[in-house]
Amino acid sequence: MNKFTSKVAGLSLAMLMGTTSLVMAQTVTIAMSPPSVETNRYWNTPGDFNLAPSMQGLVGHDPGTGVYDNSGLAESWESNDDFTEWTFRLHPDAEFHFGFGPVTAADVVHSVALHTGEDSTLIGVAQLKDAKVEAIDEHTVKFSLPSPQVDFLFAHGGRGSLVIYSKAQFDAEGIEGYDAKPAGTGEFQFASRQVGQGLSFDRVDNHWSGQDAKVARLELRFIAEPATALATLLAKETDMAILPRELQPDAINAGFEVLSSSNAANQTAMLFNGTFLTEGDEKLDPTLPWLDIRIREAINRSIDREAMIDVLYDGRAQILPVFAMDPRHEGYRADLVEKFDEYYGYDLEKVAALLADAGYPDSFENPVIPILSSNLAGNPEFPTMAELMQVFLDEAGFQTEIVELDWAGLGALRRAREAKLFHPMRNMPVKPSAVGIGNYYASSGRPNVNYEDPIIEALNMEYRASINPEERDRLAGEIFEQAFEQYAVAPLASLSTEVMMNPETIAGWQFPGVTSAGVSHFNLIEAK
Amino acid sequence: MLSRLPLFPIAILLIVLVIPALFADWIAPHDPYKSNLRARLEPPVFFGGTWEYALGTDRLGRDILSRIMHGARYALGISMIGIVLGALVGTALGLISGYLRGWVDILIMRVVDITFALPSILLALALAAVSGPSFGLVVLVVVFVIWGFFARQVRAETLSLRERDFVARARVAGASGTRIVLRYILPNIANTIIVLATLQIGVVILLEATLSFLGIGIPRPAPAWGILVADGRQLIVSAWWISLFPGLAILLTVLSVNLIGDRLRDWLDPKLRQV
Amino acid sequence: MFRFLLIRLSHALIALLVITILVFSLSHLSGNPIDAMLPDDATPQQIEELTTHLGLDRPIVVQYLTFLKNAAMGDFGDSLKWKGQTAAAVVLERLPATLKLGGFALFLSIVIAIPLGVLAAVHKNSFIDSFATAIALLGQSLPAFWLGIVLMWVFSVTLGWLPTSGLGGLSHMILPAIAMAWFQVAALTRLTRSAMLEVLDAEYVKLARVKGVPEAKVVWKHAFRNAAIVPLTYFGVLAGSLLTGSVVIETVFNWPGTGWLAITAIQGRDFPVVQTVVLFFAVLYLFANFLVDILYALVDPRIRVS
Repeated sequence: MNKFTSKVAGLSLAMLMGTTSLVMAQTVTIAMSPPSVETNRYWNTPGDFNLAPSMQGLVGHDPGTGVYDNSGLAESWESNDDFTEWTFRLHPDAEFHFGFGPVTAADVVHSVALHTGEDSTLIGVAQLKDAKVEAIDEHTVKFSLPSPQVDFLFAHGGRGSLVIYSKAQFDAEGIEGYDAKPAGTGEFQFASRQVGQGLSFDRVDNHWSGQDAKVARLELRFIAEPATALATLLAKETDMAILPRELQPDAINAGFEVLSSSNAANQTAMLFNGTFLTEGDEKLDPTLPWLDIRIREAINRSIDREAMIDVLYDGRAQILPVFAMDPRHEGYRADLVEKFDEYYGYDLEKVAALLADAGYPDSFENPVIPILSSNLAGNPEFPTMAELMQVFLDEAGFQTEIVELDWAGLGALRRAREAKLFHPMRNMPVKPSAVGIGNYYASSGRPNVNYEDPIIEALNMEYRASINPEERDRLAGEIFEQAFEQYAVAPLASLSTEVMMNPETIAGWQFPGVTSAGVSHFNLIEAK
Repeated sequence: MLSRLPLFPIAILLIVLVIPALFADWIAPHDPYKSNLRARLEPPVFFGGTWEYALGTDRLGRDILSRIMHGARYALGISMIGIVLGALVGTALGLISGYLRGWVDILIMRVVDITFALPSILLALALAAVSGPSFGLVVLVVVFVIWGFFARQVRAETLSLRERDFVARARVAGASGTRIVLRYILPNIANTIIVLATLQIGVVILLEATLSFLGIGIPRPAPAWGILVADGRQLIVSAWWISLFPGLAILLTVLSVNLIGDRLRDWLDPKLRQV
Repeated sequence: MFRFLLIRLSHALIALLVITILVFSLSHLSGNPIDAMLPDDATPQQIEELTTHLGLDRPIVVQYLTFLKNAAMGDFGDSLKWKGQTAAAVVLERLPATLKLGGFALFLSIVIAIPLGVLAAVHKNSFIDSFATAIALLGQSLPAFWLGIVLMWVFSVTLGWLPTSGLGGLSHMILPAIAMAWFQVAALTRLTRSAMLEVLDAEYVKLARVKGVPEAKVVWKHAFRNAAIVPLTYFGVLAGSLLTGSVVIETVFNWPGTGWLAITAIQGRDFPVVQTVVLFFAVLYLFANFLVDILYALVDPRIRVS
């Protein structure tokens, strides 16, 4: 056989046997569930961005504490006294991959325009849409906002609405350039995308930050079926896998280890949607059983949260006292944590008394509690959660039914303010208090918000207008207290993001848990 | 006569499908919806478990055996209703198509083609997205999938029967089309319909299981067999019993139905061997 | 014969048109894609802008006619979920994967089922016959999704012989192809067996034996050729069932083909892609049946002559 034929034979054999890559030194493969939208255009995703290893926003996070730091593209920033002007100074050494030059203010302006365009489906982009962006000089950008935004950095961080693309690449290659091979600024650069299968990234040598990534190649494999993802880990086809909690014991028993985010990354709760208690709200359905606070309290007290954490999270979660409240953000009230057992503790006798007092079910026109079972990427426990809630509520004496709807269908109902369901919700990553309060407790979050009452309305108006940190902290705390005492929702658990790793090939990975995917800081993955 | 009956499959069918479907409320050891959170993920009795939960429990501590027994009624119900409706629709249209011929025949057969060309699973997915999964939806999809088989076979037989002497004589005697079809043709194809129906039961049960597995079949929390297999999908490595036993129930049921169907066909209508 | 084929072709085209109407209405009924695309905190203004941008505010008949007009020119719209790609591109990218897997499954079915069916008929009531019947029965009774999961766990995780999932060469295709082909092998075996049994009973076969023709020739040259028409006509149905089978199998084995695409697109409410996938499959199915019609016409002299 001559050389050519033998090459062809070799290639055919390789293709036939399915070996897809030559053996590479130090490739780390991670199995994860597919993103909701597979595209290189961040603004066309709802916020779960798969190019996190190679693209960055202005603001980074400390891998340990999660606090904003300058590991992003901004070296420093400042705001004026009333938080209506924010100025960012870019790292002078920052540059784009593939030779597209240094990062300048023009790139930021260009990226803002892309992210706020009419085809943008990105979460939180409202914060940016009304902003005026100008390039003050090569490395300084100023955002002028119509109203004060104390939490403006949130829009630029790990769960932000802005990632910086290269204007030079756009000018040279158009949007097709982004679709084919987008230039970023991260410690990894985009290598290739196999739609439906995954993404590959290569390390950038001599990265402008001074610290190169620790592995040579990163491969993300998208696997929708959790049992299949587990199979790839056990068969050692992948080095790490992001698995639903209930599969982790199997991996642990086989000798794999858990890597946890350094902070709580996700909060879960069940919402009493439709609790619109402000005056004259035409969307209020007066027959909803949980409009009666005794029912909300009774439902809360029917949930054995410790058992729930065992069942849903393999015991590795904390009970959450107030949904959207977190020690790292404004309004954290330790006293509410102390009082949790007193107000929300599992107590079936108390439930019976409350139900009798409220006259359930006879005095209720519609006593049935509709529990939503739905699928949401990133929270595979939601269908089980629905069944578990039904178990708890049935035992406590409630009449229940399970309603199956996909997450998009729920979104449609919420937007129409017609989601009359007891449904799961997650707060991932844990957002700043102002955002959380707006999403779940106040009319500023309309049309999607699930609970409103006049007291929180008044407090929230003051809160949103205030720019004094102590005042804001106090007001947020009062809002959380009201939500707590009114049983506005059924808070469930606070969890960190967990990744299963193969200790034979991975030494470690530190990530704070502040992104939609839970994981970040891929440059800190250390192989053995 | 008795020795000609396929006793073994009939027995299996009775044990796995019919008796549980009819009497689950009385013979199931536990309430299929009741969960015992302290007895989660218990293995079956010969693999480290106890007789109390003979086939083990699922992630919420519910008894698998009781759930399988209660799930039988969905398999039985869907197959009975689906088959009857599918046979009715298919036979009616097959008769019309075969007897009238002409453009009616062409139209109906094209509709059959279209039915076969549309992937049933995707249709079911789309319908479920519109109205949510329901028992009615499953029946609709089942009828959609199987009526074509009846229509085609009935049409073929009607076409040949219609040329026979006794039919010609009836026509000459002035009998109306409807009367001819109902009085002369239908009784002659009854055997075919029965055999076809029996052979389709397996298809229907598998279809229901697949739909429930995908989450668009019988709605939760009903313990339909497909849902039970789906429940154990994620835990297949450590809690294999959750998926295995319902899968076995499906397998045994369809197997016995097919065996019985085969015997029935050999007995009643051997020319259907090609079906 | 030509006339016969022309008629069949026109029927196929009509069927296709009806399918487009059905698919279009169904996918639009199944929900608003905007709901699947927007984040939870979308403002009413964002929703409005996106609706207009996607042309979803036009009346449904207008949308359908636009779709049809464009489709005739090969433009099936842009994917809503895989931004930056057209629906046709998205489907075409994944089609080879399904064809590869489906083709392999088909190949397996033919290679296993036909010889098995023939042998079972020839050696009726022997061990081979019982074995073939058992396989056939088992195959038609096993849920494919369950089989797929079990196969993966036995062969990939426990034994480590084959990779668990994903796109790849032969080793990646074996398990999903077996899971897909199982049912087909069963049906085809039974069909071949019963067709052969009928033919082996026929006069001309007995005549050939009496004339002293060697048994193997009798079986394969005379009997099989005539029996083959039966499994042949089944191929149309086989082609159709490939998609139904691929939807679940591709999800379990993470094989990025059109079945997986269809489920993902429906869940993501990506109309253009859903429509395109179903249309492609309808076309494939109708084309396969048309091929069968041609073969029928070639083989069956009655049709050739008329």
